[in-house]
Amino acid sequence: MKKFILAASVLVAVYSCKKEEGAKKEDSTEVSSETPKSNNKIVTLNGGITEIVSALGHEKEIVGTDVTSTYPESLKATAKDLGHVRSMTIEPIMAVSPTLILASDKDINPDLMGKIKSSGIKTEVFKQEFTVDGTKKLIAEVAKAIGNTEYQKLNDKIDADLKQVQPIAKKPKVLFIYARGNMLMVSGTKTPMDALIGLAGGENAVKDFEDFKPLTPEAVVKANPDVLFFFSSGLQGAGGNEGALKMPGVSQTNAGKNKKIIAMDGGLVSGFGPRLGEAAVGLNKLLIESTK
Amino acid sequence: MKAQSKLYFYLTISALLLVILAIVALYIGVYDFNGVSPFTVLSQFIKGDPNLALSDKYVIWDVRASRIIMAILVGSMLAVSGTTLQGLFKNPLATGEAIGLTSGATLLAAIAIVLGGHFKQYLPEMVQFSLVGISAFVGALLAMMLVYRISTSAGKTNVVMMLLSGVAITSIGFSITGFLIYISKDEQLRDLTFWNMGSLAGATWTKNIVLTVVLIISYTILLPKGKALNAMMLGEKDAQHLGINVERLKKQIVIITSLMVGTCVAFSGTIGFVGLIVPYILRLLFKSNYVFILPLSAVLGSILLLIADTFSRSIVAPSELPIGILTSLIGGPIFIAILIKFKKSL
Repeated sequence: MKKFILAASVLVAVYSCKKEEGAKKEDSTEVSSETPKSNNKIVTLNGGITEIVSALGHEKEIVGTDVTSTYPESLKATAKDLGHVRSMTIEPIMAVSPTLILASDKDINPDLMGKIKSSGIKTEVFKQEFTVDGTKKLIAEVAKAIGNTEYQKLNDKIDADLKQVQPIAKKPKVLFIYARGNMLMVSGTKTPMDALIGLAGGENAVKDFEDFKPLTPEAVVKANPDVLFFFSSGLQGAGGNEGALKMPGVSQTNAGKNKKIIAMDGGLVSGFGPRLGEAAVGLNKLLIESTK
Repeated sequence: MKAQSKLYFYLTISALLLVILAIVALYIGVYDFNGVSPFTVLSQFIKGDPNLALSDKYVIWDVRASRIIMAILVGSMLAVSGTTLQGLFKNPLATGEAIGLTSGATLLAAIAIVLGGHFKQYLPEMVQFSLVGISAFVGALLAMMLVYRISTSAGKTNVVMMLLSGVAITSIGFSITGFLIYISKDEQLRDLTFWNMGSLAGATWTKNIVLTVVLIISYTILLPKGKALNAMMLGEKDAQHLGINVERLKKQIVIITSLMVGTCVAFSGTIGFVGLIVPYILRLLFKSNYVFILPLSAVLGSILLLIADTFSRSIVAPSELPIGILTSLIGGPIFIAILIKFKKSL
């Protein structure tokens, strides 16, 4: 038992050292040339929302983000990564002393939500719809929450980008595969990938279920996609193009026979924020190339 | 009388240790109280100091203190449930997990999570909040009754039957839970993951009040049963001759352990190993004298879980390790160390 107390006191000591380091770091970041637009300290718990806040010019006010907030990359240096909203707990959020928490209604766990609400910190929870109008609405709402009125230019940019999407004569059937370790999931309807495939002039190869379902060889053969679509990180983890072609059932599909495999950055695909137009154009280009 | 004072001595020592650990745990966490010690902040809070910042107040009371208390309550009940089950089945392997109690509780909780959404809105809010908890208790009770039915004939409990029926219930529970995971939506899936790994991150004072009520009711009935459980060691007939109402004792243990395990599972998911390791350690120290190990397991369980939870929320900060991994990790080496130490006397 003495050992436990010893271990605990060592832990305490390690902590206090860590904290001091943290404090020192904060001092050095405050010397940066850009100053925050307001005194807000914002925690954003969704990749798309993080992008919106940054695109509106409030990046310097973000003090903490979730694991899906991969863009802009400069945030890595200035905001604390609080991990995954599913396994996140309240204390690390409180530790960055936020004045405002912005989250989406999609993935936050109810226990954490209850704790955030009772913490007394101002919190805005947004409904996220994976449509162009839904994204514009989200941008307007987030802007309002952080006291910014100049959001129209972001929406205009989305429209301008979307105009560059070229129609594809024969819509390719696209199967999105979410590969995480040994788990292979395919995207059904009502997911960001489904919506983006539609915007980019393709069609989702899976129409008979919503959300994600584990991949089965028969379902892949039945869906018979023309193109396989991955997150770049997922494709890498699955062993690149060769690994993808070895996935169960793939060899029997058009995509497998013609080796049509495309990949895009996960944050760009699923963010549904200010870069929605860019994402659609990017996917559109990849689809046009793969149908040649 | 001598034994009595020895028991009080051990109880006092372990209770003191628990208090020290609770204070240490109060100091551990990622939130910084601007250089003020958490203990000072807590005493300011208790005195109702108006100068205390809102977020400081919240972190010390609603986050850290409530979580520490929850670890103490859940750990205690898990250990006591393991101890009494082992007394009932006269076997050191009988624990909530081994005989399918936890699995039954998890299964019904999972059903409530995944399918509860369809009828939840028609229920009053109080029931909505406790739907999962009530389901977990009912699941534990059903599993317990089933195991006891299958494994007991003519007043004798067959240990092999008991463990096998536990395995059967666990596998049924696992397969149905697996099916539910397959048909569940993303957010429900996350809730199910929590059930299977355990976590005290959702600690609130409301939950702690419920847990405290369950603990007081359970301990009032169970803790004085040390002598009766000792008599049970001789066999049910002999215990009967010693004036113990065996049937009534069995019923009480069945219902109360289900209540305790069910409530713990409902609030903190599946945290394994506590019900096995704590009574085992105590049995090695005090033989199978339930007069000693029953009350002591209540305190030692708290100590074990409090240490585990404090590690779980600090090792990989700012995220957390599932506590179930840690209870096994901490319990295992202690277990082996004790086995080696007592090898000769075993």
